[in-house]
Amino acid sequence: MSITRRDFLKIGAVTAGALAASAPAIKSVMALGKKPVSLPQYIPTTCEMCFWRCGVIAKVVDGKVVKLDGNPLHPNSRGKLCARGHGGIGLLYDPDRLKTPLINTGARGEAKFKKASWDEALGYVADKMQKIKEKYGAESIALLTHGTISTYFMHLLQAYGSPNFAMPSFALCRGARGVAFEVTFGEDVGNPERLDLQNSKAIVLIGSHLGENAHNSQCQEFAEAIGKGATLIVVDPRFSTAAGKAKYWLPIKPATDLALLLAWCNVIINEGLYDKDYVARYTTGFNEVVQAVKEYTPDWAEKETDIPASIIVETARVLGKNKPSVLIHPGRHTSWYGDNVQRQRAVAILTALLGAYGRPGGIYLNPKKKFEPVFLSEEDYPDHKPALNKGNYPFAGEEGVTHAIVKATLTEEPYPIKAWFTTGTNIMKAMPNQRDTLKAVQKLDLLVAVDMMPYDGVMLADVVLPECTYLERHDDFFVVKERALGISIRQPVVQPMYDTKPGWWIAKELGKRLGLERYFSWNTFEEFLKHKAEVWGIDYSELAKNGYINFPESEKPYIQPGEDFKFKTPSGKIELYSKELKEHGFDPVPKYTKHEQPPEGWFRLIYGRAPVHTFSRTTNNPSLWELMEENVAWINAKVAKRKGLKNGDYIVLVNQDGVKSNKVRAKVTERIRPDCIYMVHGFGSTSKMLRKAYLRGADDQQLITRYAIDPISGTVGMRVNFVKVTKEV
Amino acid sequence: MIELSITGTNAITFPYLEVWDWRIVIYLFLGGLSAGMLVMCSIANLRIPKQPVEELAQCFKAPFIAFISLAIGAPFILLDLGRPFNSFWLFSTFQPLSLMSWGAWGVPAVLLGNALYMFAVIPKEQRYKLRLPILIKISEKLAPKMRPIAKLNFALGIFLGIYTGVLLSSFSAIPLWNNATLPILFLVSALSSGAAMIVIIAHKPEIKFLFTKIDIWLIVAELVVIMLFFYGLYTSTAPYKKAIEPFFSLTSEHFIFTMALIAIFLLLPLALRLKLGELKEFEDGFHGEFTKEQIFRMNFAAILVLAGTLILRAAIVYAGQLTKLGAY
Amino acid sequence: MPRYVMVIDVERCIGCMACVITCKKENDVPAEHYRTRVVEEVRGEFPHLRMELRSELCNHCENAPCIDACPTRASYRAKDGTVQIDKIKCIGCKACILACPYDARYSHPKGYADKCTFCEHRIKEGKKPACVETCLGKSRIFGDLDEPNSEVAELLKKYDASVRLEFAGTKPRVFYIKKKFAGGM
Repeated sequence: MSITRRDFLKIGAVTAGALAASAPAIKSVMALGKKPVSLPQYIPTTCEMCFWRCGVIAKVVDGKVVKLDGNPLHPNSRGKLCARGHGGIGLLYDPDRLKTPLINTGARGEAKFKKASWDEALGYVADKMQKIKEKYGAESIALLTHGTISTYFMHLLQAYGSPNFAMPSFALCRGARGVAFEVTFGEDVGNPERLDLQNSKAIVLIGSHLGENAHNSQCQEFAEAIGKGATLIVVDPRFSTAAGKAKYWLPIKPATDLALLLAWCNVIINEGLYDKDYVARYTTGFNEVVQAVKEYTPDWAEKETDIPASIIVETARVLGKNKPSVLIHPGRHTSWYGDNVQRQRAVAILTALLGAYGRPGGIYLNPKKKFEPVFLSEEDYPDHKPALNKGNYPFAGEEGVTHAIVKATLTEEPYPIKAWFTTGTNIMKAMPNQRDTLKAVQKLDLLVAVDMMPYDGVMLADVVLPECTYLERHDDFFVVKERALGISIRQPVVQPMYDTKPGWWIAKELGKRLGLERYFSWNTFEEFLKHKAEVWGIDYSELAKNGYINFPESEKPYIQPGEDFKFKTPSGKIELYSKELKEHGFDPVPKYTKHEQPPEGWFRLIYGRAPVHTFSRTTNNPSLWELMEENVAWINAKVAKRKGLKNGDYIVLVNQDGVKSNKVRAKVTERIRPDCIYMVHGFGSTSKMLRKAYLRGADDQQLITRYAIDPISGTVGMRVNFVKVTKEV
Repeated sequence: MIELSITGTNAITFPYLEVWDWRIVIYLFLGGLSAGMLVMCSIANLRIPKQPVEELAQCFKAPFIAFISLAIGAPFILLDLGRPFNSFWLFSTFQPLSLMSWGAWGVPAVLLGNALYMFAVIPKEQRYKLRLPILIKISEKLAPKMRPIAKLNFALGIFLGIYTGVLLSSFSAIPLWNNATLPILFLVSALSSGAAMIVIIAHKPEIKFLFTKIDIWLIVAELVVIMLFFYGLYTSTAPYKKAIEPFFSLTSEHFIFTMALIAIFLLLPLALRLKLGELKEFEDGFHGEFTKEQIFRMNFAAILVLAGTLILRAAIVYAGQLTKLGAY
Repeated sequence: MPRYVMVIDVERCIGCMACVITCKKENDVPAEHYRTRVVEEVRGEFPHLRMELRSELCNHCENAPCIDACPTRASYRAKDGTVQIDKIKCIGCKACILACPYDARYSHPKGYADKCTFCEHRIKEGKKPACVETCLGKSRIFGDLDEPNSEVAELLKKYDASVRLEFAGTKPRVFYIKKKFAGGM
């Protein structure tokens, strides 16, 4: 019988439209109703439900966020949000959020937390840090970090004297791709990737399940390409959603992707399907590639990959016919095996052979404009011992290598690591070999976690510092390198709930207690942002109002026909043959290496993503949890029949090292090869404080006890684990 | 085989409908019982024209129980309403295509007719039990109009019996329900349950025996209609054919429906057999008195019929919601 | 009067589920209830597989069985041709839920029947329904069929459109188009 608040708002909104000029009149009209309701406010900000960083417009009514929508000005969202973006409200109002600082009163990792004040918690941390610095040096404090919070904590640690930070996003995710593209084209393919999907005529997804991997604008362009009739070739041992859209689904034998890529190069070269003018003009080392791929014939590749030679030839011709508007998707999570960089190099070489880099429908170029860096502080960082965060990997990126930190902690070589800060990353779910992680954690004198939710990794911490969500805080500007350059702002749309604080505040306050006040000379982060805006010559209030500022004149997506274009490689050309790699003792042109295949009765464990979840970050989000409460283990229908498994039966997976998974439902399906088991990553949380996600589904990372390391980049290969299926639950 | 995965399903409709439950079963059962009894007792009244009305005292009990069972049954559908306090809206309109609307207007109408009937047939010597002078007066006024009122109640009973079936059969989205045989089946089984109930409540051997005889015909008719019901669906298109699968399935999931069908086909014929036995004994030489054993057997057979009727309704209400018109 | 319809280009649906959740937030749909869903059907045997992805919602049928089934006129046809529910009049008898062959309705915890409104409140403001607005693949297209130049009119002129359970005779106003056949290997 009652008119809902929504109805009332509607009336309010309509009235407001008609009488915008006479606001007091509206107020008096509304006063006649049951209770006055304020008009909605629309505040732009930047999403953090994944790391695509879409522009969001939050609808706020009476201090409550009621709706999140995509910002039409922002090129990553284009007025649309994915499921997780819309589900951001679920994070904000998740009752299981970290609400106050916590101090563990039990043994390491026991999670016997007592509530603490900020002063107490920060004092405790600062005190321990000083002791570690005195005994071992500041370098013994390491940072494992992900996302925007990294800015402040990397600054803090470097100001304190430690260069040892590592982001899972390099070694455990997209590092190999970056290295391969830098070696070949002189620059990474970008984040978001600079893919001109909407103009592609042929698309290869190799180990990418776009769609299930719901990267907003990329999905939009992907659908656009499909809508325009692009030929889609999906290489995946699993019939992904994208495969369902494909003209060619190539259910490749896992670990043999490089064979297929090299065979495609072989056909494209032999049949003269490559872009001759482009290759001659912009590349170096073509002849070496011709020699190198000679042996990789389709017939040879058929035996390796299980893909018929005729299909390899047919698909290669599709690519050749559609060049240069061909996109070989460079992937994102590329840490599969021990030869990640070489495989990604093959992707880069194939892209170059087809003339697709800097061409419509391929990979577009970086925008022309650049901003000078504005540092959080003008102060220089103190000197320190050589960093150990890159291990001994010549091509390891600036983001650091997580397992180098873990290894140094375990071996105390070259020097001990005695404290970890984990900020914005769930170390248990992000890093392979949890047993090593746990062993390393036991060797520490201090483990501090800064996060929004009590994830598994947070539960190990001595001190937990609750960060507020992205809807409640300022963060650094995001420089968006889409076709044109742009700047996106993150600003609070509501005040922080509970006793949570923004990441910058936590770093600044901790800095204060460490005597590093001079490194944090601004009072609020907004003050710093305004300063930055001034230096960059942009209007802060316009940015705050619209959420995004675009610089359309910076757009230069394609190499013009005949243009004398210089790549940022040593030779100024696309390096099909890499001297850099050669100098470091690696294959200058990719060579195929065979990887171990699962023995009879074992399955290769492969993993991926779901469109409604981001890693392990969202499994407890009430808005997203209800769409996918737990993951399932995909198993081939014929195999399942032999094993007497029915769809929905609970099974347990046991890996080669005897590690048993949590129980997980079997998805008995025709959609996967008989030699693999597939799971969506991020489930099977062991944190009791995540009441929805606790022990729901199985954790793939738990079963990834073994990993291969790519000697070039230090990126790891996590698809090298074999599992057995048991029905016992 | 189709592999289906759906994101965003509602528990009330997926994987199968769980919309109406035991409350509707009770409503349909008691409604049907009431309908059957009204028809049966009006037949009794009209079939014995030579007897003075006063001698039909036993006929008061039948409309009274009919009234009570409908009065108890109808609130069960109110119990099922999501917003029972809004039900006054039912009386703001009449929607000829909505069976719920027919029920909203029809059930009170039946109750009213039934009440009139009760007043009309209440024996003179018992009128004082009505206490209120106005009620006694009404009773006196209505008594002479007993026959037309009985005819009206016959019609109302038929209406109510059919209504309970059409309420289900009007749903085109539910293949098991959506066929014209269902109202007939529900009517016949309602009549049968009405006859059975009268057998139980009647004192006079003649009445008991009369309705035992009537029920034999009704049970036979019911069994035939059940078979026609299933045969009709079996020979229909895919979703309809699929709709009867639960009744012929030995998988644990749907075994209960097979059990229900088996139960119906045991109970009803068993009742039939008992009744036919009774008939034989009666014809062999009835001496104006039933033995206790005979009365027990007649009552027992009647209870079997009632149980069968209840099971039939429950099975159809629940099984209907298992099968959809679409693929899932 | 407009004739609002939705056209769903199944080729362009990439299964991102954004529609499912934006709908919930836009319309304050209670936990674990939905007004729209995404259906994924896979046919065939490894490695010869076909997939259809499509979103489903209330079809706003021209011949709506839910309206027929409603005893109080709580379910009614609005002037713009959409099927709407007046939750004040709804008594929660659930007959409409049974009557709908598309499982488009559910019972709101507050007792009334609820379903997709084509975002009536947004259309009135000249906006598109929330699911259409956010559909990453532009698989959902909304518009007025009586407007000859509208995108929906153009699409329905050009392509064969099907409706769900055409044989049910409900005359849905949600149309599904397939521009080309897509399959696996």
